[in-house]
Amino acid sequence: MYDFTYHRPSSLDEAASLLAGAEDGQFIAGGQTLLPTLKQRLARVTDVIDLGGIGELSGIAVLGSRIEVGATTRHADVAASADVRNAIAALAELADSIGDPQVRNQGTIGGSLANNDPAADYPAAVLGLNATVHTNSREIAADDFFTGMFETALDAGEIITKVSFPLPEKAGYAKFPNPASRYAIVGVMVAATGSGVRVAVTGAGPCVFRARDIEGALAADFSASALDGVTVSADKLNSDLHASAEYRAHLVMVMAKRAVAAAG
Amino acid sequence: MTRVEIGQAVRRQEDFRFLTGRGRYIDDIDMEGQARGVVLRSSHAHAVINSIDVADALEAPGVLLIVTGRDWIAEGFGPMPTKSGVRKNRDGSELHEPPRHCFAIDRVRYVGEPVAFVVAETEAAAIEARDLIVVDYDELPAVVDGVAALKPGAPRIWDDIPANLCLDFELGDERAVDAAFGKAAHVVTLDLVNNRVTAVPIEPRGCVASYDPETETFTLYNATQNVHANAATFAENVLKIDKDRLHHIAPDVGGGFGAKNSAYPESPMALYAARKLNRPVKWINSRIESFLSDTHGRGQTSRVQLALDGDGRFLALRTETVGGIGAYCWTVGPFTPTAGSARTQGGPYDFPAIYYRGRAVFTNTAPMDPYRGAGRPEATFQIERIIEFAARKLGFDPVELRRKNLMPPDMLPHTTPMGLNVDCGDFPRVFERTLGLADQAGLAERAGSARRRGRRFGFAVAPYLECTGGGPREYAGVGFRAGGAISLSVGSQSTGMGHETSMAQLLAARLGVDFERIEYHQGDTEKTPIGGGHGGSRGLEIGGNAVAQAADEVIGKAKAVAAHLLQSRTDDVAFAAGVFRGSGASVSMAEVIEASFDPKLLPGNLSPGCLDTGATFERGEVSVPNGCHAAAVEVDPETGFVEVVGYWVVDDFGTIINPLLADGQVMGGIAQGIGQALSEEIVYDEDSGQLITASLMDYGLPRADGVPNMVIEYYQGAPTAKNPLGVKGAGEAGCVGSLPAVVNAVLDALKDDGVRHIDMPLTPEKVWRAIADPNAGGPVDLMGDVL
Repeated sequence: MYDFTYHRPSSLDEAASLLAGAEDGQFIAGGQTLLPTLKQRLARVTDVIDLGGIGELSGIAVLGSRIEVGATTRHADVAASADVRNAIAALAELADSIGDPQVRNQGTIGGSLANNDPAADYPAAVLGLNATVHTNSREIAADDFFTGMFETALDAGEIITKVSFPLPEKAGYAKFPNPASRYAIVGVMVAATGSGVRVAVTGAGPCVFRARDIEGALAADFSASALDGVTVSADKLNSDLHASAEYRAHLVMVMAKRAVAAAG
Repeated sequence: MTRVEIGQAVRRQEDFRFLTGRGRYIDDIDMEGQARGVVLRSSHAHAVINSIDVADALEAPGVLLIVTGRDWIAEGFGPMPTKSGVRKNRDGSELHEPPRHCFAIDRVRYVGEPVAFVVAETEAAAIEARDLIVVDYDELPAVVDGVAALKPGAPRIWDDIPANLCLDFELGDERAVDAAFGKAAHVVTLDLVNNRVTAVPIEPRGCVASYDPETETFTLYNATQNVHANAATFAENVLKIDKDRLHHIAPDVGGGFGAKNSAYPESPMALYAARKLNRPVKWINSRIESFLSDTHGRGQTSRVQLALDGDGRFLALRTETVGGIGAYCWTVGPFTPTAGSARTQGGPYDFPAIYYRGRAVFTNTAPMDPYRGAGRPEATFQIERIIEFAARKLGFDPVELRRKNLMPPDMLPHTTPMGLNVDCGDFPRVFERTLGLADQAGLAERAGSARRRGRRFGFAVAPYLECTGGGPREYAGVGFRAGGAISLSVGSQSTGMGHETSMAQLLAARLGVDFERIEYHQGDTEKTPIGGGHGGSRGLEIGGNAVAQAADEVIGKAKAVAAHLLQSRTDDVAFAAGVFRGSGASVSMAEVIEASFDPKLLPGNLSPGCLDTGATFERGEVSVPNGCHAAAVEVDPETGFVEVVGYWVVDDFGTIINPLLADGQVMGGIAQGIGQALSEEIVYDEDSGQLITASLMDYGLPRADGVPNMVIEYYQGAPTAKNPLGVKGAGEAGCVGSLPAVVNAVLDALKDDGVRHIDMPLTPEKVWRAIADPNAGGPVDLMGDVL
């Protein structure tokens, strides 16, 4: 790990100005990606600005037709929240499937979204459930947020404050984990929402994406059997030691069916 | 007072310390004024080193010393020799043993090979400086697979070693096998891979070295399995000092599994730096470096051929194996794919003829050394896979085919065609008991239940027979102190398996003394004059028998003291359950021990301290642990995911000293076997030679949720007469039986899909592909080019 200066601001404004004043600063929330990267000297920053001291960023609130999760809320807290379970069980289950207990007790939803790892679980929840990402300067619709591998619509210095999930009619998440890392080889969130059926796929491609053919089939008939005969192309899907693109394409359909079944 | 007996499930003494963070592992040791060392490792699999520029690094803050290969040679340090038990090729010539120095000298031969050692005030400063070293490499073509390395035109790892061949070994009667093959009704051939894996102990390797210039003596704390042998290598071979000048200590060691057997290069680096700087030097490996630089295991490609008569009786077995051993012979690298895999060929089956040929081949990879079982899991996998494959191919019931060919008890003792003396056991009984535990009769019902849930069900039974190994001599020392404390020092070593409990239990039960008062010592060259450390399931077989022998010698001496106290003749005193009885009166062992410190109570020829005893036990022949594993699996055909849903084992380890500790050994070995069978694999890129699975993000260790509950029983009807305790080693057997049990169970699940073979690890994608295309997993010809 290279040397850096550690800051723990207590307000969003202070955090933003610390970053603005840093030569090469980086926000940290749960640190489950940034810390290993720093420890392996794969990244070098001058300043690390810890968002954990900003109280308003943490917590879960049910507000009528939506549920809001603060950016520094831990995965374990989302997984254990009775409010989340009652409102969107698939979201709690997704949080409960992330990594291992250590990761779930430290990692945060905001950190996961800002990092946008192609195999992370939360991007599938946000995109599939048509959530809105709130930042210290604006609101970003899920469809606009994830722009590429490890890339998002966030501007430099912009801080996620909370994520607002509209309550779906039904939703389900199914994931095939990497046996080593427990990241998603393929994870699929399906949701029947007020604005139609949404299907978000993580792990399979370079960035979370909506599977339009699956959405179309489910819009007509929200059942697993409606997906018989539907396929996704292996073109542009990831291929690595653990799974070829062809296998991932196959798993997208298997997980989509299981997610539909889980949605009930 | 806590009385314990042989066979009692005494809970582990050491667990409170370990589970409350009070273990003392290598990284818990810090010495006054210590500096920190880090290793610069090769980033190339094969390259010439044109130059190493350390000028900028030496200027970095806090840097104290940088050592390279050239510096090392200039100091006159020697290479570390292999201790392979086999050194002769089948033509009688000597194996090839290139010099293994602590550093790469002018050429690197695997990714991770040490190029320089940087010592600084702190680890961070050392890492900072390491990044400033500039090495100018000229890359050479690399070869990472043993079979590929043998092929004509393969890159040469050592210019003077043809075909990269280190050792070409054979055992058995090839002519008899050929003759049997000639007249057999069936000959079945299967090429298979035993995947390369690594141990991944929770505690990475590390050491703390110091030097006392007044006595010219080194002290080395080291996460090692073998203090005595490695001290000799470091002192005599490398540093060229008397081995008494190196005090080698292994504190609590967090797992070894063979990967901490070896004499590794970082220890001499730290010793040298400690003397040069006159300060202690500490080095701790990182996890990624552990993947790069720890020894690996298995990594064999084999052709197995089985000859059967028309009724399915085995006539002959022929196995030809190629094992890539890395770029050096390392400590015993050439042994495992050769003699190590030969001895138990054929398993518990009655074979008239067996021939084994094994070749150890140099590759541009991390070194190969023993990994839990070291050849016996490979041999068991070979025989059990070919039996399963033959049964499917020829239409025999796999269970029946095994039953028909097991050696019957009246055949024992029997010397196999591999020269192994199988002295005792009851293989059919163990086999049937395992099937009974697994409720073989209920399999159809479980298969139906799985099918209703959209899953395939598979079951397999895998008898195994193995043999122990490791250093054949062991020392146990027993010392008594007034007040009741008893020290027990043994030269074998626990790296977590519980010798503090089992050895103390043995002594306490034998002497009838308080178990709680025994202080256990191990892993210290000054605590025992010799010591064979850990390896080859030798702990109880060699160390335990040394303890028993020492206890018996103590009893003999104590009897003289007791006779004096009881005013009886020594011959009239009997000892049982901790009590000496004369013609009427009795005295306890504890009382005799206390009396032994009072000259007034001792006979004239004895003096205080007379009960202190040191005993050396020497093994005759290795024991032959055996048993039977059975596994049930469910396969999700949509994803290819395999779940092990049931596991049953009956082991014949001879006399069981502590069933709780034996269970732990069996479970741990099976967990490692499940890992290797389903998810673990060391993968090198075949072009660049880079290690792809260099972290736990990519290397698929088994997790608790992938390991089922196990039903474990012991057959104790056949204690071996090869050692006084009647024990057969228990440490590695779990790994020996589990690979074929799990793999054959998966293939059983897929038999109706027409799948006959998949090489380990049986990852979800491989299984899914095999279901879609039964030939996707093979078998294919892997060995044809190099036979």
